[in-house]
Amino acid sequence: MYERVVAKGLCAACGACVSLCPYLRSFQGRIVPLNPCDIFEGRCFAYCPRTEVDLKHIHKEVFQREYELTEMGLFRRVLMGRARDRTFRKRAQTGGVVSSLMDFALKAGMISAAILTRRGQDHLPQGVVARTQKEVLACAGSGYVAGPTLQAFNEGDWTPEDQIGVVGLPCQVLALGRMRASDLEKRTPVDQVGLVMGLFCTWALDYEPFLAFLRERLDVFQIEKLDITPPPERILKVNTGTETLEIPLDEIRPFIRPSCQVCADMTAEFSDLSVGTVEGESEWNTVVVRTERGEELLSLAQKAGVIETKPLPEENLAHLLEASLLKKRRALEALRERGELEKGYLKDASRWIRNKLFSDPQG
Amino acid sequence: MPLLHDPFNVIIAGVGGQGNILASDLVSRTFCEDGYFVSVGETYGATQRGGSVMSHVRLSRRHLYGPLIPEGEAHIIIGFEPLEVLRMLQDYGHALVRVVMNDRPLYPLEALQKKVKYPSPEHLISRIETLAAELKIVKATDLAKKAGNPQAQNVVMVGAFAGLNWVPLEKERFLTTLGETFSGERLELNKMAFDLGFGVASGKRGHPLR
Amino acid sequence: MATLYWNLDEPEKRYMLSGNEAAARGALEGGVRLVTSYPGSPSVQVLECLAAVAPQRGLYAEWSINEKVALEVAAAGSFAGLRALSVMKADGLNVAMDFLTTLPLSGIGAGLVIIVSDDPGAHSSVKEEDSRYLAPPAHIPLMEPATPEETKDMVAWAFVFSEQVGLPVMVRLVTRICHARATLTLGAIHPPEGVPRLPQEMRFVTAGSRHENTHQSLDKALEGFEGSPFNLYTGPAEPELTVFTSGVSYLYAQEAVERLGVGERVGIFKVGTIWPLPEKVVLDNLKRSEKVLFLEEIEPFLEDQVKILAAQHWNDLGRLRFLGKRSGDVPWVMKARGMGELDPDIATQALAKALTMDFQKGQEGLREKAEKLPKIELPLRLPILCAGCPHRASYWAIKTALALDGRDGFVLGDIGCYTLGALPSGYQTLSTVHCMGSGAGLASGFGKLGEAGFQQPTVAVIGDSTFYHAGIPPLINARVTGSQYLLIVLDNDTTAMTGHQPHPGTGILATGEAAFPVPMVELIKSLDIPVTIQDPYEVNETTETILHLLRKGGLQVLILRQACALKAMREQPRPPVYVDQDRCLGDACGCSRLCTRVFSCPANIWDEKAGKARIDEVLCTGCGVCASLCPEEAIVIQREGEEHAITP
Repeated sequence: MYERVVAKGLCAACGACVSLCPYLRSFQGRIVPLNPCDIFEGRCFAYCPRTEVDLKHIHKEVFQREYELTEMGLFRRVLMGRARDRTFRKRAQTGGVVSSLMDFALKAGMISAAILTRRGQDHLPQGVVARTQKEVLACAGSGYVAGPTLQAFNEGDWTPEDQIGVVGLPCQVLALGRMRASDLEKRTPVDQVGLVMGLFCTWALDYEPFLAFLRERLDVFQIEKLDITPPPERILKVNTGTETLEIPLDEIRPFIRPSCQVCADMTAEFSDLSVGTVEGESEWNTVVVRTERGEELLSLAQKAGVIETKPLPEENLAHLLEASLLKKRRALEALRERGELEKGYLKDASRWIRNKLFSDPQG
Repeated sequence: MPLLHDPFNVIIAGVGGQGNILASDLVSRTFCEDGYFVSVGETYGATQRGGSVMSHVRLSRRHLYGPLIPEGEAHIIIGFEPLEVLRMLQDYGHALVRVVMNDRPLYPLEALQKKVKYPSPEHLISRIETLAAELKIVKATDLAKKAGNPQAQNVVMVGAFAGLNWVPLEKERFLTTLGETFSGERLELNKMAFDLGFGVASGKRGHPLR
Repeated sequence: MATLYWNLDEPEKRYMLSGNEAAARGALEGGVRLVTSYPGSPSVQVLECLAAVAPQRGLYAEWSINEKVALEVAAAGSFAGLRALSVMKADGLNVAMDFLTTLPLSGIGAGLVIIVSDDPGAHSSVKEEDSRYLAPPAHIPLMEPATPEETKDMVAWAFVFSEQVGLPVMVRLVTRICHARATLTLGAIHPPEGVPRLPQEMRFVTAGSRHENTHQSLDKALEGFEGSPFNLYTGPAEPELTVFTSGVSYLYAQEAVERLGVGERVGIFKVGTIWPLPEKVVLDNLKRSEKVLFLEEIEPFLEDQVKILAAQHWNDLGRLRFLGKRSGDVPWVMKARGMGELDPDIATQALAKALTMDFQKGQEGLREKAEKLPKIELPLRLPILCAGCPHRASYWAIKTALALDGRDGFVLGDIGCYTLGALPSGYQTLSTVHCMGSGAGLASGFGKLGEAGFQQPTVAVIGDSTFYHAGIPPLINARVTGSQYLLIVLDNDTTAMTGHQPHPGTGILATGEAAFPVPMVELIKSLDIPVTIQDPYEVNETTETILHLLRKGGLQVLILRQACALKAMREQPRPPVYVDQDRCLGDACGCSRLCTRVFSCPANIWDEKAGKARIDEVLCTGCGVCASLCPEEAIVIQREGEEHAITP
C-alpha cells in the first residue's frame, strides 16, 4: 500500500483503509503506514479508491446496471433543493439539503446512524457517528479539507440492527463502492449501509500545510465559515467571529491534495443522491437523484415538508455536465503526465474513457 | 589416562542466555582438577543477547593449547539447541564427532519475522544423526523443570555429558565442582538437574533418547 | 558462595582462571592498592574481581564515571605513592588519552599500570581497534601476554617495571585472553604497601620541556625489555622460517607448527614486550632465517615495528622476506563483525602457504560429508534485545511517533544495549551510532540546522550510564547554543550490556556499598530544560508523549524509566503473560502476526500446530507490552491469584 499509494502522493485520506489492521493509522489528515505488512493485496488495497478500480464491477454492484460513460454518472433527475427549516440553512454552506435530509432519514427510521464529517476546533475534519439532530447540525458546512471520514465508519460501535447512512466526498463514496464489490471477507459494516449521499467536489485541501498557511494569518480556532466564491472572483473567504479574510484562490492551490488531480469524479457518481451548490444561488443546492433509494428519500422528505424543490435551469445543468467532464479530462491528463494512464488506478477504464472523451466531437 | 585425541576438543553450542559459560566452567574446572591442561574460549557480550554462542573446551595431557578449536576438530559437541548444533557440526565437527543435545528449538528473530524459515526440528535432528558418529538426545529443559527451573537445562546437559563418559572422569569430581560453584538451595537444584541428566545419559548408551 | 580461585592464598596451586581473573590476580601479586575502571567488554571482570575482595585485601576499587576520570583517580594513587591500576577497553583508552599522554611528561609516583583490552572480531564492540598503536604517541611501554598465566605474571611485574622506568605501563589484552580460561599456577599475593603522601618537593607538571626526560625513560624501558623472559624463542637454531608473534596468536602459531609437523623447519619468536621494541633480541632473531611470518591481532603493529627496526639495520641483516597482514600473506578474515581476529586455522593456513605446503582447514572434519548432502538453510541469529527489554518498547513508541509525526524525524544513538536499535530487533530505528555520548553530541548539531532550513525533528537516545559518562556536556552545549532536539534517556537503572554494573545514578558503589545517587531529573531541570518521565512499558501512552513532545519542539528531555528485564527477573520474577488461543485469530486476524513478525520479542512465538500465537514461557518476563498491542486483546497478563491455562 505504501509504495503504490502513499509514497506516490495518491492518497485521498478517505479513511477506508484505517482501522482494518494495526498498521494504518490516520493523524492530522494523513494516513500513516506504521509497519511493513506482508499481505500483498489485502483489504486496504481492495477498498482504496486509488488502487486499481474496476468501474464496471462497482457500477453493477451499486446500480445493478451496465456501466455507461456519461459526464456525471447515472442519474434519474437533477433539481434544485433547499431545507425548509431555517436552522438547517443557517448552519449549512448553502441550501442545507444534506443535513436536513440526513436528519429526516434518521427521524423517519430509514437509517439509525449517519457517518458525517465534523471539523474540530483546529479545523481538523474527522468522521463521526451522528444519531441526533444536534449531532447532525454539528457537522454542517464545508471545510474544503480532506479527512479520513471512513475511519469512523470502520471503527464505529455498530450493532447488527444498525442501518447506516454515509455522507462522503466522491473518493469516499468510491471506496464504499469498492467495499461492497470486494470478494474479501468484509471487515466493515458496508452491508448495513442503507443510504449514501455524495458531495460535489472539485478538489480538497491537505490539512497540515493548509492550516500552517492559515495560522500565519489568523487564529484558526476562531474560524466559523470557509467559502469559495464562484468564478470570476475565485476567492477563499474565511469568516471568523470578528473579520472576513479574503485569500485569492491561487494562493491556496498549492495545498490541493495531489490525489485530487487524478480524480475523475466530480459528483460522487456511486451514491444514492449527490448534492452540491448552484451557481449564482447561495440559498439552494443542486440535487442529483441516482437510485430508487435516493428517490424514496427525496419524495418522503418533500411530502413531510422538510425539503422544498424547484427545477434546475437548463443552463446550470449544462454547466454542471461540462464541469464534470472537464474534471475527467484533467484527471486523465494528470495520469498521463505521471505515466500512469496504462497502469494507474483507472487503467481498466481509461482507454475506453479516453476514446469516448477525445473522439467525441461534443466533448 | 590418555585421551582418544590430544588435544581433545569439546564444543558447547547454544544461544546467548542459555548458560553455556556456566556449563563450560563446570566441565573445564572438573577436568583441571584431574590434572589436564585445559583451555577454554568463550564469547561474552553483545553476541550473548540471543546470538549464536559457543564455548570451546580443549583438554590435553601435554601442554596448553589456544582457546579456539580448529575447524573439523571438535570431538564432542554438547548442544543446547538443535540449529546451533548443526551449525557447529558442519564447520567444527570432527569426522568421528559425538553429539549430546537438548532438542528444544529457540527461534531466531528472523524466523519469527517470517524472513527466513526455521528448519523443521525433525529435519535438523535427522541431519545431525547422519553427520555425527553418535547422537544422544536429552530432553534437558523438561528435566530441568523437574528439578525446579527450566533455565537449569545447561546443568542437565553437563550431567548428561558426564553420564556418557566419553571422556572418562568420575561423577564425584563433577559433584565436587558443583559444590564449589553453588551453595544452599541453588546447589540442591543444580545437583538434582545434574543427576537427572546423568541418569538419563548413563542408562542407555548409543541410542538416541526420545 | 562460589570460590574465588584468583583470590586464594595458595601459591604454587593450579587452577583455571580467565584472563581477566588472571589480571586481577596479577594485580594482587603486584601489590596493587587502587583499581579504577569503567565497564568495557572484554575486561569488565577485572574490576569486578578486585572490588569483590577490596575490603578483605585493603584495596580501593572504583567504577568511575568514565575512563578519563578513572585514570586520573588511579594516577592520584600513584602520585601519592600507592600502586594503582586502571582498566578499560580500547574505546575507553581513546577517552583517557588526553590524560594518559601527559603522564610520561609529568612523571608518576608508585607503579601505574593500565590494562587495555581490545576486541578482535568486534564480538562485543561496534568496531575493532588495535590499541597498541596508541602506546608510541603516549610514550608508554607496552606489553602483551599470550596466556592467562602470562597475563598474571606481566601485570604483577608491570608495577615494578613502571617504578623502575618512571612511566605508566600498558598491558594489552584481547578477547581471547580476557574471556578465555586456562590452567595456571598461582603466585604469592603481596599486600599493598605504603602510606600515601604527596611529597611537597615533587611536581607532576606536564611541560614540553619534559619531553627529553620522557625519551630517556623510554630508553631505560627498552633496556629493561631486552632481557625480559616474556620474549622467548623456541625451535631450531637455524629454521627455514621464523614466526614472529605476540599475544594469543603465539598459541595459534604453536598449534600450526604442530599440525603441519614442521617443528624441525620453523621457529617461533614470541614477543611479549612490544614497544619500545627490544632491538637486540629482535635483531638476533631476525638473523635466524630469510622468511619471517608475522602472526598477530588486530593490525600489523608488530610487523610494522619490526620492519622499522630492520630498515634501520639493513646493512647488518641478510636477505629477508616479511610475510604478514601487510604483505597479504596472512589473510584478513571476517569474523563476527570484524576482520582482525586470528585463529588456529588462519595461522596454519598462513604457515602452510609460507612453506608451500598443502593445507585445507577442516580436512579432518565433516565439511566434505556435509557438503554432499542437500543444503539446509541455517538462519543466522543476529543479536537481539532480550525478552521484556524496555528498549524494545521505547523503540516501538519512538518509531510509531515519528511515523505519525510525518516530518522525516530521525534518531541518533550510541553505545549500550540500545545500540541494537540499529538492527532489526530494535526496528532499525537508529540513523547513527558512533561512540559514548555521540548521539547527544550530534543532536546538538542537528538541532541548530533549523537556521539553515533543516525541517526534520531530531531525536537522540542515550542510556543512563552513557548519560553520565559522556552525555552531560553535549546537553549543556545544546542548552547554551539554543539547539533544539528531543533527548530520550533510556533509563534502566544499570550499565546493562557489560553485566549490570552500577553507575553514578544507581546509588551503589563497585563494592556494593550505598552511594549518593545522582538525581538525574533535578540535574537536567537545573539547566532549565523541561523533563518528562514515562514508563516505556505503557507503550501507547509513551507514543502519545513522544508525539506531543515532537510537536512541541524546543530542547526537551524524556526519561523512559523501566528496569532492565534481566535484572528485574533475577530480583523479582514476574508471572509470564500468555496467549488466549481462543481469542487469537491466527493468520485470519489480518494483522499478519503483529506480535511475532513485527513486534518480534523472542518470547512471542508461533504455534505451528495450532496456527496461533504463543508465548515462550521460558523466555517471557511478563512485561505485558505485547498485550497492549494485540488488536484482538488475545494476550493476557496474569493477575495475582488467577488461575490460567497455558496452552502446551
